[in-house]
Amino acid sequence: MLQANIQKNLAPLNLEQVAAGDYAKTGYHLEVAAAPEQMPAVAQAMLSLGCFLESLSGLHYPEHFTLVYHFANFGELCRTAVHVKVPLDQEAVSISHIYPGANWYEREAYDLFGLRFAGHPDLRRILLPFDADFHPLLKKFEASQADA
Amino acid sequence: MLERGLEEKTYVLNLGPQHPSTHGVLRVELHMEGEFIIKADPDIGYGHRGHEHMAENRTYAQYLPNMARVDYLHALAYNQGYCMAVEKLLGLTVPERGEYIRVITAELNRLTSHLLWLGAYLLDLGAFTPILYTFDDRENVLDLLDYLTGSRLTYCFYRFGGVPVDIDDDFTDGCRKFIQRLRSRLPDYDNLVTKNVIFIHRTKDIGIITKDQCIKYGLTGPMARGSGIPYDIRRVEPYSVYPQFDFEIPIGEQGDALDRYMVRLREMEQSLRIVEQALDKIPSGPIMAEKVPKRLKPAAGEVYTAVESARGEFGCYIVSAGDTKPYRIKLRVPSFGNLSILPELAVDTLVADLVAIIGSIDVVVPEIDR
Repeated sequence: MLQANIQKNLAPLNLEQVAAGDYAKTGYHLEVAAAPEQMPAVAQAMLSLGCFLESLSGLHYPEHFTLVYHFANFGELCRTAVHVKVPLDQEAVSISHIYPGANWYEREAYDLFGLRFAGHPDLRRILLPFDADFHPLLKKFEASQADA
Repeated sequence: MLERGLEEKTYVLNLGPQHPSTHGVLRVELHMEGEFIIKADPDIGYGHRGHEHMAENRTYAQYLPNMARVDYLHALAYNQGYCMAVEKLLGLTVPERGEYIRVITAELNRLTSHLLWLGAYLLDLGAFTPILYTFDDRENVLDLLDYLTGSRLTYCFYRFGGVPVDIDDDFTDGCRKFIQRLRSRLPDYDNLVTKNVIFIHRTKDIGIITKDQCIKYGLTGPMARGSGIPYDIRRVEPYSVYPQFDFEIPIGEQGDALDRYMVRLREMEQSLRIVEQALDKIPSGPIMAEKVPKRLKPAAGEVYTAVESARGEFGCYIVSAGDTKPYRIKLRVPSFGNLSILPELAVDTLVADLVAIIGSIDVVVPEIDR
């Protein structure tokens, strides 16, 4: 039921992909792919159905970053994974004005990957020291680099 | 405020990182106006060890011991979440007896976490005696788990495909004795603490969280249940053999610190029920899956699994690129989301109340820092 409602709410947004997921294999009921600038609209649609942001993970690939937003719901089991590809030299778009809980997740992604979020009110490092000069989850990073 | 010609002004107060009420190394920068907080800015990361970075440099099996060091109070939930994710990637099925042993040990571990929280929370509020009682009880569980797993805190007990050691009669008898003992103790806690008028004044109507805030901040575990949302992964997204047990999900009404306290206290009784049923029903059979490959090399793909830790939803998100090492592991830790609401809760409260609020969140800071 919820899955159908989410699909209905996301349909007018013209997203790249909205498809049923293979729950037994991946743990997702819905797999969505969106462009960075569509994220606030997606978040608004999820919030209107009472879904909460479970986690926001960054991934570093040679050609681009991928942000993975996991949404779940307190009432009904339906996990939605939204994949957002962000080119290496561009900014993602913040959803912290819709989900205040995203504020820290976005700061974490910035801290670990150096990926900036447009419209974030307070984009500081969160886990690493404020004066650190590296982003440890970039694939080219090696721990010994920082030690030296 | 303007007596004796003193000027009213705001000032900054530094709470932590070495403060007994911030449980580990959490620092909160408080902007004060007199006795009241006008802005709170939590500063985390003092215990950042880079667990997610370590994952990319280790094989799947080598990463297992890391799991106990993220949330050291409920290490077995993390063991379980990570093992479930890797098992899903590899297509392994755990034999039923193995799952039962996982449930028994994970629930015992949940009890140690709640008992420690209970003692430490009351210590924060100025009651010294309860921690002596709860540590006494907790010691019993630690002995049981030590007997089975070989460690007291940082358990690395589950394996991909099951558990390495079977339980024996000594362990079963010890569990039953402990259940009996804690059952006789829980009414004492109720009488000593729950009905204590000072305790009620310190926690009632403090740090109220609405259902709407739970959604916006992604609060899980006792934080959400205290606000009346019956969200427990063991029930809503059943894993392992939890569907076979009869247990309740305690919830609060108002979402204040007292409700969160009551939820955790009543959860202990439910954990005892689960362990008791599991001991009664445990089937015989193998504890490890057959044919677990020596060299783990899951196909490319991604997987997200969630388990209920003592603090809320622990999610393990693994991206595999078809290598012997994971491409990326993201640990969705419950305390990270749970603490992110603190700046909103702290506004217009007293410092003493902030201590009551932080304690009621039940943060494990190294879990947030990873």
